[in-house]
Amino acid sequence: MGANFENKYLMNKFFTKQLSIISFIFIPIIFLWHPNWLGFFGIQPYWPLFWLLPWSMINGSINGLIFGLFLGLILDALTLDNNFTQIPGLIFCGFLFGRIKLNSDNLVGHFRYGLICSFGSFLCGTFYFLQILFRNFSDSNYLMMIPGVKNILAEVFLTGFFAPFICSQLLRMFKFSRRKF
Amino acid sequence: MLGIRRISTYRWWHQKKNWILFAIFLFLVFVRISKGSFYKDFYYFISKPFWPGQFQKEIILESIDQEHSIKLNLLKKDNTRLRRILSLQESSINDNISAAIISRKTGSWWRQIILNKGSKDGVEIGNIVVGPGGLLGRVNNVSLFTASVTLVTSPESKLGVWVDRMQINGLLVGLGDDHPSLILYSKDADIKVGDFVSSSPASTLLPPNIPIGIVQSIDETLKSKKTAKISLLAKPHVIDWVQILKINI
Repeated sequence: MGANFENKYLMNKFFTKQLSIISFIFIPIIFLWHPNWLGFFGIQPYWPLFWLLPWSMINGSINGLIFGLFLGLILDALTLDNNFTQIPGLIFCGFLFGRIKLNSDNLVGHFRYGLICSFGSFLCGTFYFLQILFRNFSDSNYLMMIPGVKNILAEVFLTGFFAPFICSQLLRMFKFSRRKF
Repeated sequence: MLGIRRISTYRWWHQKKNWILFAIFLFLVFVRISKGSFYKDFYYFISKPFWPGQFQKEIILESIDQEHSIKLNLLKKDNTRLRRILSLQESSINDNISAAIISRKTGSWWRQIILNKGSKDGVEIGNIVVGPGGLLGRVNNVSLFTASVTLVTSPESKLGVWVDRMQINGLLVGLGDDHPSLILYSKDADIKVGDFVSSSPASTLLPPNIPIGIVQSIDETLKSKKTAKISLLAKPHVIDWVQILKINI
């Protein structure tokens, strides 16, 4: 009985401690799942930023940069575009988000997450789009302009819209997992 | 004074945390190189209860009718031509594999679908994927249980196509939106809205006469070439089941 209780306690402690890492594993799953009912013109919010923002805010720029790289590696592995990469955008966002201080005012904080994530999504989208443009420089460059801009704008809007809900919950979760037992 | 002994020196490799991060990095590089096979196979298992069932019948039946009538006309023409020229190179479809779509990214930058059949079922890189309506794309990556398909709408996709009414070859380029662009390298090409586009007999990637789409609008602003927007017959955002063609061209 006693041993069972202790095991349960240790398991709970382990899962609570590792909440941030466990949630990290789910990002590629959501990225693959691509729930259409959450989208807008078939475009999805940029999921990795929702995790990267609270992580970097709590753990700082260097950690943000490293996990930006990790996220980029996984997401690149899941997409078929061999010539384009999401790593530069995510690294940059990870570093940038780490410079942001936690705000004590909750309401402002929620909206701030939306704004920051929108900006991050704009950066990542632009980095990616520039790669596509650069690659197709000689061919049908101008044809890609309109869908590319549409993609970026829709992604920025959706990421900004969902960020206040998701980021604040994740931030609470990460803070909870860091508390002393 | 000179004999001051250094008691300890900090080096980054003395920290266990750094080694763990390095190991994670190596693991992720492996994941990157293996094109995420682990993740895709893991996703295969956890998404299994949610695989698509038998719905969306109307949309699919309408697309199938459209596909069949166009295909029939093309086959008739082809048949008469082949009877005249017996030495024409033949394309043979060996066998088809039915597969369900377990992940689809039909918006945003990434235009790809993941199917629930992989190398264990005999799917190979380069196999053609068709759905109700016509061509969807080509298999670009295969794991043990899954196959990833680059859609014709992806910016990575460039295919040789055939405009049947004018008997002319063109290049179908994905732009990252729902309507790929057809490029004809001839200003005099008499292309019209409603022209039917199929896979080219000259293509080395696709077998001939797979329906692709219909010309939706034409852009004549360029000097040296004509471009047209193509409305695809197969709609990747609503299709749940597809056929993988194992083809020898």
